[in-house]
Amino acid sequence: MSSFDYFSPKTLEEAVQLYNEHSASARLLLGGTDLVNMINDEMIKTNAVIDLKNIAYLKQLELKDNHLYIGADVTFTELIESDIIREKFPVIWESSRKVASMGIRNRATIVGNICSSVPSADSAPALLIRETIVRVMSVNGKREIDIADFFIGPRKNALKENEIVINLKIPVLNKSFGGSYVKMGRYKGEDLAQVGVATLVTEDLQYRIAYCAVSPKPIRIKKAEQLLNGREFSVEFLKDVDTEIMNAISPIGDIRASKSYREKMSSVLLEKSLIASYSRLKGNKPEYGKELL
Amino acid sequence: MTDYKYIGKRSVRIDGLAKVTCTAQYTDDLEFGPNLLHIAVLSSPYAHARILSIDTSEAESIPGVKAVISGRDFSQKFGLYLKDHSIFPADRVRYVGEQVAAVVATSEKIAKTAIKKIKVDYEPLQNVQCALDAIKKDAILIHPDLGNYEVVPWLYPQAGTNIGHIRKIRKGNIEKAFAEADYILEDQYHVPHVVHAPLENHIAVALYDYEGRLTMWNSTQSPHTQRNILASCLKIPHKNVRIIAPYVGGGFGGKAGISMEVIAAVAALKVQGHYVKLRWNRKEEFENSSQRQELFAKIKMGVKKDGTIVALRHKLFWDVGSSAEYGSNVVNATGFSAIGPYNIPNVHIDSYAIYTNRPPCGAYRGFGYSEFHFGLESHIDRIAKKLNIDAVEFRKKNAIKRGDKVAYGVEMGPTGLMECIEKVAKKIEWGKETKSDDPDKIRAKGFSIVWKAPAMPPNESSAAFLKFSEDGSINILVSGMELGQGYLTSMAKIAAEELSIPLEKIRVEHPDTDRNPYEWQTVASHTTWSSGNAVRKAAIEAKNRIFDTVSRALHYPKEALYLEDEKVKCKEDSKFELPLRDFVINGIQMKDGTFRGGPIMGTGIFMPEFSSAKVNPETGQGGYPNVHYTTGAGAVEIEIDKKTGRIKVLKMAEAFDGGKILNPELAEGQIIGGFMQGLGTALWEEVKFDENGKILNPNFTDYKIPTALETPDEMYPIFVEVPQPDGPYGARGIGEHTMIPVMPAVGNAIANGLGIRLKEVPFTPEKILDALEEKGK
Repeated sequence: MSSFDYFSPKTLEEAVQLYNEHSASARLLLGGTDLVNMINDEMIKTNAVIDLKNIAYLKQLELKDNHLYIGADVTFTELIESDIIREKFPVIWESSRKVASMGIRNRATIVGNICSSVPSADSAPALLIRETIVRVMSVNGKREIDIADFFIGPRKNALKENEIVINLKIPVLNKSFGGSYVKMGRYKGEDLAQVGVATLVTEDLQYRIAYCAVSPKPIRIKKAEQLLNGREFSVEFLKDVDTEIMNAISPIGDIRASKSYREKMSSVLLEKSLIASYSRLKGNKPEYGKELL
Repeated sequence: MTDYKYIGKRSVRIDGLAKVTCTAQYTDDLEFGPNLLHIAVLSSPYAHARILSIDTSEAESIPGVKAVISGRDFSQKFGLYLKDHSIFPADRVRYVGEQVAAVVATSEKIAKTAIKKIKVDYEPLQNVQCALDAIKKDAILIHPDLGNYEVVPWLYPQAGTNIGHIRKIRKGNIEKAFAEADYILEDQYHVPHVVHAPLENHIAVALYDYEGRLTMWNSTQSPHTQRNILASCLKIPHKNVRIIAPYVGGGFGGKAGISMEVIAAVAALKVQGHYVKLRWNRKEEFENSSQRQELFAKIKMGVKKDGTIVALRHKLFWDVGSSAEYGSNVVNATGFSAIGPYNIPNVHIDSYAIYTNRPPCGAYRGFGYSEFHFGLESHIDRIAKKLNIDAVEFRKKNAIKRGDKVAYGVEMGPTGLMECIEKVAKKIEWGKETKSDDPDKIRAKGFSIVWKAPAMPPNESSAAFLKFSEDGSINILVSGMELGQGYLTSMAKIAAEELSIPLEKIRVEHPDTDRNPYEWQTVASHTTWSSGNAVRKAAIEAKNRIFDTVSRALHYPKEALYLEDEKVKCKEDSKFELPLRDFVINGIQMKDGTFRGGPIMGTGIFMPEFSSAKVNPETGQGGYPNVHYTTGAGAVEIEIDKKTGRIKVLKMAEAFDGGKILNPELAEGQIIGGFMQGLGTALWEEVKFDENGKILNPNFTDYKIPTALETPDEMYPIFVEVPQPDGPYGARGIGEHTMIPVMPAVGNAIANGLGIRLKEVPFTPEKILDALEEKGK
């Protein structure tokens, strides 16, 4: 393990200033569940670690102006324990419960999860179907990135070298809906997603579908949604939807699953997710959080 | 039935409080002061290569580096049964991860930095990754000097080949039996390498002081065996080697014998007077402790129409990796026992230890029995189905009974196997179909039966020392290890029963080879039986001394005295009672002011004097290699999602004949833990290698051991008690056995539910879907 300087700024302004000065190899620390392992395993080298945990603003978790704000320092456990999330953003609640294990969720943040930008990020599909805005800041000021434009490739995102994600801004849906996140790991215990899919159906029958772990980045598949929009859900539509899904995804085969298994499961999980979402829209079971596999 | 006060009664484990309050000390918790030196190890990037040169000069020049060691300093070979493992290889590396050199430095960071400065010049050799390739005639030799290695007299390394040992069994007339059989099934089964994955990685601390004493603090199952191996390998008198064994955070056989501790020992010799510490990280734990042997099993079984098994040919091709120093005995033990718990008159077994360029393999809970039972119990189900006989009935028909001859000709001892089968069948509701509400999900049940003997040298032994203190409390000194199985509690219970002392007044001490008497190793599910016998004898000896003292001082007849509630009482005088605390140290005062007695203590030893490994190498007949067998049965009810291929275990039941269960609560824990470990190997666990012998999943991200979330909703541990005549209170071991039924039971359930037969574990969802697709064609 190499040596590095450790900074613990108290304000955002101080943080962006520091990050700007050290940006080339500086790393931002929040939960540290990814970063600390990578430093220990010498997967990355850094000369400066900037710890953002002492910036009170980043702990924000509130509804304001018809939007939900999730600060960069909000952990998965805090999301899971929040009534706002559970009631108004149930798919984020459901997917947060699927992240890693309890010990990790107590430290890891949802912003950290998307900043790692791994293809299997569990929180990405839920954020994609809620059309999340990623708010970032640097010495040059603030800007907003649509989550659909945020992910670029494996461990790559739209952040510029000196930009810090300060929070997520998610519009409240002022109509009833049903949604779900179905994750396939190798077992129920802690695992990375082999395939993850989140779907949403609104009362006016608008559908949203997003995946993780089946392409170089988490993706939303609007072409598949369009085939369903305006129609009461039926499994008979899935054959056509599947064609669009297969066009959009490009899973790899690796030690966790073969390419063909990921493809098959992309269809199977979509079916399970849409059935659950539609049923929830109608006020029926399964309850949010119930095992869907 | 004898009415016991402690034996067979539920009680909280005596190490429970220390563990839940974090005061139980493990090796890494011990403090050795600021001058502790740290060891880092350079491991081989090649699976097979010649070492042409090693240049350590740059590493040595780094400030803080105290020593750099390699095969130039310590190339001795060591091993439990076959000395084929080098401390550091002098000439060639045989697996990726093998230790090539080590640095001792003032900090871990300096040691790790210095390791990277060692230059090793390798000449890569062809590497062999599969046992079936390694036994081909033209295969490259992994141990060209195999014929020169030291070996115990009952193992047979084949010089000039990659075969470290063959155990052969010939019983009856196999060819005639096959000719007369009504139905014969022949097939192959495969069980890949898995690892022990203890949550506490291997760790060792060593000090070689200026008196020439080597003291070590190791996370180990085998303190005395480690002392013996180190003393003979390093030419240090046994009295000058001391192994202290603190609590162990998971062993499962991986900490049996010796592995990385040899590196810490020789590092200590290089920096006399300094404590040195070596701690594996998780990757090193995967690469360089030991693994479970991979098995390719070829089974041919002949039966009569009525379901009677008449012949079994079982060929076991074991991949023991680059070293068979311990694993050769897995091969040996399973060779003797590969008939499973069945009465089979005609048997032909060949069990081969085959070297490959994979990590050394050794003891792993079940000692090879899990692996061969997978094929055998899958095979049994297939034959029963073919004959249209119920799988449980088929097993009952052929199950071995007391007095039947086992494969090596010795009579089977007392066994409650039939009762185990019946109880498990009842609990799992065998024959009753259940259905899921979800049309995608199929429910099915699977059954298997098992046996296992302790695999030990015939002269393994245990010893115990027990001493009283003034308040009538006792300390028991033994050298078995508490691995979570409840050893300390079992030993305390035995002493409590014999001496009428409550558990809270008994301490059982962790091993320290200077002070605690001998124990071979904590392996083979034999310590309750073997060490338990020694503790019982020690308690009886102490009891005799108590009676002797009382008899001499107070003139009661010795044979009329007995112990109850920490008091000596007399059958002939109901008013007499003398508390132990009144005299067990200070004796009994006479009228003239003098005293009789003195400190009460007791010693006990146990060795199975009837056991012998001397058999005919061509037939396996003529000896008494196994002391006894523990038998049992297991079953599962599973739910399979036809769309995803995922399996969920809804319910499990296992029954074992433990002879006498000393502590039901902890024995149940063994069944649940063993089942879950077995389930890991049935559904998820497999060490994956690339073609160059590099492990692709040396971490818990991609090597999945079960978590609490994978436990079935319903679990039924069941015990049967047919006493073991030479066991303490009739007890025999059950610890390892509990994981053996799982792979075949799950495989049989899959076959029953989906009509597909998987002949290779783990049963991954992809394999299920592929087999379903194949079946649909």
